[in-house]
Amino acid sequence: MYSSLILIPFFSVIVLNLPFRTLMKKSAFWVCIALSLIQIFAVLFSPTGSLGNLTEMFFSFLRVDLWIDNLSRIMLLCIGIVLFTAAWVQKELSKDEERQFNFMNVLLLLLAGLNGIVLVRDIFSLYVFLEITAVSSFILIGFNKERDAFEAAFKYIILSVIATALMLTSIGLLLMIAGDTSFATISATLKTSPDKLLAMFAVAIFLCAAFIKGGVMPFHGWLPDAYSASPASVSVILAGVVTKTVGVYTLIRIVYSVFGYSPALTLILLIVGTLSVVLGALAALGQSDFKRMLAYSSISQVGYIVLGLATGSMLGLAGAVFHLFNHSIFKSLLFVNSAAVESSTGTRNMDNLAGLAKKMPVTGTTSILASLSCAGIPPLAGFWSKLLIIVALWMGKFYAFAIIAALASILTLAYFLSLQRRVFFGKLREDLAHIKESGFGFLLSMTILALITIGAGLGFPFILNSFLLPVKTISGG
Amino acid sequence: MEYSCTLLNAIFVPIIGAFILPLAGRVSAVIRNTIAFGLIAASLIFSLKMLPAVSAGQTLVINKQFAFGLNFVLVADPLAVFMASISSFLSTIILFYSFGYISHYENQNEYYFMVVLFLGAMMGLIFSANLVLLYIFWEITAITSWRLIGFFREKNHVLRADKAFLLTAFGAITMLIGFVSLYQQAGSFDLSAIKASAQIHPIANFAVMLILFGILSKSATLPFHTWLPDAGVAPSPVTALLHAAILVKIGVYVFARIFVATVTPAQFWQTAVPVIAAVSAIVSAGAALMETDLKRLIAYSTVSQIGFIFFGLSVGNSLAIAGGLLYILMHGIAKAGLFLCAGIIEQNTKTKDITKLGGLINTMPVTAISFLLCAFSVMGIPPFGGFFSKYMVFAGAIGAQKYWISLVFLIGAFMTILYLFRAFNLIFLGEAKMTHAKEGSLSMVTSVAILGALSLLSGLTVYYPSKFVEMTVSHMLGVKF
Repeated sequence: MYSSLILIPFFSVIVLNLPFRTLMKKSAFWVCIALSLIQIFAVLFSPTGSLGNLTEMFFSFLRVDLWIDNLSRIMLLCIGIVLFTAAWVQKELSKDEERQFNFMNVLLLLLAGLNGIVLVRDIFSLYVFLEITAVSSFILIGFNKERDAFEAAFKYIILSVIATALMLTSIGLLLMIAGDTSFATISATLKTSPDKLLAMFAVAIFLCAAFIKGGVMPFHGWLPDAYSASPASVSVILAGVVTKTVGVYTLIRIVYSVFGYSPALTLILLIVGTLSVVLGALAALGQSDFKRMLAYSSISQVGYIVLGLATGSMLGLAGAVFHLFNHSIFKSLLFVNSAAVESSTGTRNMDNLAGLAKKMPVTGTTSILASLSCAGIPPLAGFWSKLLIIVALWMGKFYAFAIIAALASILTLAYFLSLQRRVFFGKLREDLAHIKESGFGFLLSMTILALITIGAGLGFPFILNSFLLPVKTISGG
Repeated sequence: MEYSCTLLNAIFVPIIGAFILPLAGRVSAVIRNTIAFGLIAASLIFSLKMLPAVSAGQTLVINKQFAFGLNFVLVADPLAVFMASISSFLSTIILFYSFGYISHYENQNEYYFMVVLFLGAMMGLIFSANLVLLYIFWEITAITSWRLIGFFREKNHVLRADKAFLLTAFGAITMLIGFVSLYQQAGSFDLSAIKASAQIHPIANFAVMLILFGILSKSATLPFHTWLPDAGVAPSPVTALLHAAILVKIGVYVFARIFVATVTPAQFWQTAVPVIAAVSAIVSAGAALMETDLKRLIAYSTVSQIGFIFFGLSVGNSLAIAGGLLYILMHGIAKAGLFLCAGIIEQNTKTKDITKLGGLINTMPVTAISFLLCAFSVMGIPPFGGFFSKYMVFAGAIGAQKYWISLVFLIGAFMTILYLFRAFNLIFLGEAKMTHAKEGSLSMVTSVAILGALSLLSGLTVYYPSKFVEMTVSHMLGVKF
């Protein structure tokens, strides 16, 4: 059944394009919405805790094993929700039918790629789907054919190619050592491997590749440009799920299920995570472009996820996965907010805005909720995931890292308060008096995302027991 | 138990009800104001309803377990009910005052929403006996105070709101690290579990220090006090509500809850905390002597008086602790009265600069008398309420042989008399510099008159509150007087 999450998007693209292309133009958007809803419901209402082993033969020469565990389920859920949002935002932004049709087609390809990454169980198929996702993202970033966007897409391509090269090398080495590319075999071999040095090298370059893809701090160069120059709907999906799946999910999966922990690996993750958290937040403080600030904030929040992963404890992992989910929700929400502001006022420069909450109450209120959730202010969802991560760090005796991570959320609060002050809170500027609240698609997606943030925060104890603690059933090697 | 419903109502009626207010405000302002008043009054009634049972020695506990030592625990013991009754009572009066004060401004829906939500969060904080639960409500009060300080939307108001939020959030986060370290020791965030484990291993000084950061920042004590005077840009009922009567008492309350009723920090803190409090009391009293902005002056006075409360709670003597708790009540009434008087003066003369005022006693007699009554209570003149609390704090401290620090606080008390008389003199006496000044609206004047009268009455009938406070302290410490 889960194989259909990959296959249906592929087939939809074919069906939409081949026979009655002109007739299908209107329906592309609804196909996207329907697929995202199906995905959300499939994940929510499938039997819990089941570890299905779904073998499919969909390339005649290559067998691809598909698995699902709780980590994949949470990712699939995020992908569904964010895709739904991005499609609505795109519908609001572009009225040109042809362009919208093209956009939705690429979005469907992206969906197939993302779902594939989440479901596969061997390192080579993972690579294949990573490439599908990457290629679709290049197209989407440059979709509006603007100069900045091309530049950003080009940057992303170059860094992505480097990551790919590293990853392929690593896969080759691992194949050489283990004789197979499936997670289980590699993991078993690494535990007993005689080629210690070679294996460590393979692990190290794979980590680098995942860091580049996830935009973690020393490897983040492409990310702010890509997020801020791409069309608004693309920023939503890039920040919400693409980098999270391509980089962070891959990292969690590979570290937890394949490589296993070693003191050196823990230290690397801790340092990289802390760097991202602190430097990302500091960089965000200095921005005056709405989307660039959010981009740096993303880097900072991914740092928290890496820190949670670094602890290696059940608590830390639950925190990391929950923060991954929360980040998808609140960061997508903030990007939708920025899209709404940009489409209403025509600018993203925060110094030219003020007091918009009066004219755009829904955007204003939801952006407060998302900001506070991101800053880890209770009772919103972001508080709980940060709390879990900090508790896990503390219990793992990484005291200094716990304190830095906790204090960095003051920086997070600082830049979000500055964002609120410059854009929403405060007196309305006179030249903005004619502004109207944004359209239905924006309002719908903002409301849904805000409700999820509040709901996940208030219902946290239930989520913890039913959804997060079972994360431990991620099958280690 | 029969009271568990009452306890939940006292917290969740205002919290959930607050969300109705913006909707009600779209229909009619009168309906919204009535509902808001009803919600807060309901909270007051539910708190008072628990008084008899608690006085009879019952303690009500609601407990629901979750994973990881996170549980939903509410405890209504004498301390909590005492604090809840004060908070909801003062909120009721302040809300009543708001009907007059706030009626000509924009964003009233948000105002009432935030005020009622604030009280609900305050009630939640008071009754919660789990550190994470407490932290959640703690931060909700921070969010509401952020919105309320920036109520007028002026650029520097919003900046100051951000400052207050950041400073208290900094304290809160360090406090959270302290909580996590307690969790590491006890394996739970539940206060009763922490109490049990602290009897075996005393808690680390490091954790005490981190938690104190949070407490001091919320209670605006030196060196984290700077947000409070700046927050005076908020509407006056808000400064009264948040910054004098209730919000700043959160830190004091949590201090009593954690460091008096739950764990006993090392001997060293019985000197360190009074010293911090003494510095805070003296420095801010000095600032109040120099200040010319009326609301900043009262804010500095609050910082100074909070020092006295910390002094009472931290010297480790049961009489001083009782004095500290009584101080919360007396100071809450009197200081709320002062801020509300300041609001009337500010609204009717359009200035907060006391050097530009004068002779207002002729045009604003009720306000002037109420101001004087409240000021007497804050100064600690017998037979006003403030005298008894101050006396108990000093008597307890001397009983604990803290002579030098008591002397410093005595100087602080003397400075209090000086700056309050100076303020009264400049505002109400002397030559009238303004002719157009008039008395405030009915709801505003009634509110300050009630608070002024209460400042006196609470002193005359001090037997009842002090009896209850004694009972509270003996419950907290497990000793008899």
